[in-house]
Amino acid sequence: MPRATKIVIAVLVVAVVIGLISFRGLRRRMQRLAETPAADEKARHEVLAPPISTPTDVTVKAKIFWAAGSDRIAPVEVQLPLSADPVERSRQLLHKLTVDPPTPGQRTIPADATVLGFYILPDGTAIADFSEALSSEMPSGILSEEMAVNSIAQTLGNNVPALRRLKILIHGQEVDTLAGNVDLTGFFELNPPAAAAPTPAAKSQH
Amino acid sequence: MIVLDPAHGGADSGARGETLVEKDAVLQMARSVRAELERHGFRVVLTRNDDSNPTYDGRAAAANAYRDAIFITLHISSTGTAGTVRAYYDQFGAPPPVAAATNSKASNSPPGGLVLWDEAQRPYLDSSHRLADLIQGELAQSFSGSPPISSGVPVRAMRSVAAPAVAVEISSVATPTPDLLMASATPLGAAIARAIALYRVTGGAR
Repeated sequence: MPRATKIVIAVLVVAVVIGLISFRGLRRRMQRLAETPAADEKARHEVLAPPISTPTDVTVKAKIFWAAGSDRIAPVEVQLPLSADPVERSRQLLHKLTVDPPTPGQRTIPADATVLGFYILPDGTAIADFSEALSSEMPSGILSEEMAVNSIAQTLGNNVPALRRLKILIHGQEVDTLAGNVDLTGFFELNPPAAAAPTPAAKSQH
Repeated sequence: MIVLDPAHGGADSGARGETLVEKDAVLQMARSVRAELERHGFRVVLTRNDDSNPTYDGRAAAANAYRDAIFITLHISSTGTAGTVRAYYDQFGAPPPVAAATNSKASNSPPGGLVLWDEAQRPYLDSSHRLADLIQGELAQSFSGSPPISSGVPVRAMRSVAAPAVAVEISSVATPTPDLLMASATPLGAAIARAIALYRVTGGAR
């Protein structure tokens, strides 16, 4: 056999061995990623939107509204350090709601959705500005969108008494719908004054 | 006249399952529901009969062109227990404080006067609520596990409809048995027809 052919064969054998070793390593890494999607989601989210802590944080029992089955939401009581400042407190609650559902099946809003801004007007109107992912990664449907909006509204309404109503923006803009169905051009009632009639955003748990 | 609105269409696919896409499945379903409504003696028009995506205003205009229309918008959800169906009436969000004071006289006034296009549904909220409850009652009998009463949700497609309007959403595109889901169009149409007949007999609005 000519020497050049032997060299080519040897190089090919080495390349195949290196390829096999790399492929096994790659497969192991893929398996690890598949096994820990929730942890990965959480880690990714914490890079995008790190947890918020403030000097006035006090650990309290908060009610976070996650999915309870495929067609309703329900409160889950969790011990959570929350700020005395309503803006920071709201951001902490929305962070918990997004990042830390007890199980993946209880998630109501997309894992990659982050709060870009949160403001409270003097009349108690809260403005929550979410990243594009809230809309683009939301499964389309009246039921899923209603559950998402209600989980946000109920979580804020039950833990931040100063809030009266909520406006949801996507990337700083008012949008027609969340994901093709639920109207986001209006306001969602959170803690209506005692005299006012409650709206479904405040009373419905679907 | 029953104006039947297959949701989404064109570039807007709506909910997506492994084999089902809402915009296509809901159109096919709407044609079966139309046939069933016609069999019960109703006149029916579809807001779309191909893969087009009329604007929300265009869909509303299809209903607003008739004097005694009933608007039914059909949807298939991303989530929810397979085989259950929900009826929704429109629910306007809480107005901002200034608008609340301005609109307090106009809200829920009887049909007949001038109304804002964006709030055309407002005078029909009671009628829509009643019709939605009747439809939901019939659906609960035909589709086991469906809720007994309808829900109020701000569904964008109904906001500008100047007629009783109900959104009907069946679960879901994620079903493992798409044939069964599509076969439910006939009982769905029959349930809607029975409810509309009851609504008409009992005089519409409460």
